[in-house]
Amino acid sequence: MYGWIWRHLPGNAWVKALISLVLILAVVYVLFQYVFPWAEPLLPFNDVTVDNQ
Amino acid sequence: MAATADETEETTDAPGPAPRRRRPGRIATAVSVFGELLITAGVLLGLFVAYSLWWTNVIADRKADQKADKVREHWARQKDAGPGALDTGDGIGFLHVPAMRNGEVLVEKGTGTDVLNDGVAGYYTKPVKATLPTSGKDGNFTLAAHRDGHGAKFHNIDKLEKGDPIVFETRDEWYVYKVYSILPETSKYNVEVLSPVPAGSGRKRPGHYITLTTCTPVYTSRHRYVVWGELVRTEKVDGERTPPAELR
Repeated sequence: MYGWIWRHLPGNAWVKALISLVLILAVVYVLFQYVFPWAEPLLPFNDVTVDNQ
Repeated sequence: MAATADETEETTDAPGPAPRRRRPGRIATAVSVFGELLITAGVLLGLFVAYSLWWTNVIADRKADQKADKVREHWARQKDAGPGALDTGDGIGFLHVPAMRNGEVLVEKGTGTDVLNDGVAGYYTKPVKATLPTSGKDGNFTLAAHRDGHGAKFHNIDKLEKGDPIVFETRDEWYVYKVYSILPETSKYNVEVLSPVPAGSGRKRPGHYITLTTCTPVYTSRHRYVVWGELVRTEKVDGERTPPAELR
């Protein structure tokens, strides 16, 4: 999977490494900005109030 | 030396084994893809932990600081105008709990995640409405905040002991409470702890109470941790906003 991505990136090893880094950062950004905030309320870790629901 | 050179020559010359080594079998590919998926899942979970316990704090603290500045500015501007209507939009005041060693916590209306995720403490509007100390009436000033993540404003709630001060600061007044009872673990359905005379705290008569609730044990939401205090005295805020003795 990752090998396949690596083989399909253009340029030499340095360019590939740089593109990979950018891709990783982009994925982390999307996760922190959109995916995790969406997933968090679905998980039972952060209910702090007492209520009758 | 010569032997190795011969060997490499042999493998490069031989048409059979070299391509086979480069192209692994179907099962090997499946196993390696599966392994990579597992690694990816592990990294994702690790990132989620980092998000929950670190990043949400960064975001929430930034937001809370902005809001706190706004409230302070608002108060400073209102000072000359004399006592005005209570402004609940940005926050009604600050909670100081020296035992928690986390400075001041802005208090806002409501205990929904949208409120609490900004790194503030919220006062209950449901299922039991909190009685604000500014109203002067008997009742229970009930608050909730996050134990972990999103500012984690009540993270150190377990450091509170009986007799510790909890000070609530408004524009004109310091309300000094003293902790008189602690419930280290209760069900999340136990809304009685929010009653005007909090059930389970040991008090039977109406009075000026404060209730802090958050989740416990740390990093989970299995139970609720409750701390009760009662009003000992109030102090007028002076020109320099000198804090009461408990905070010095």
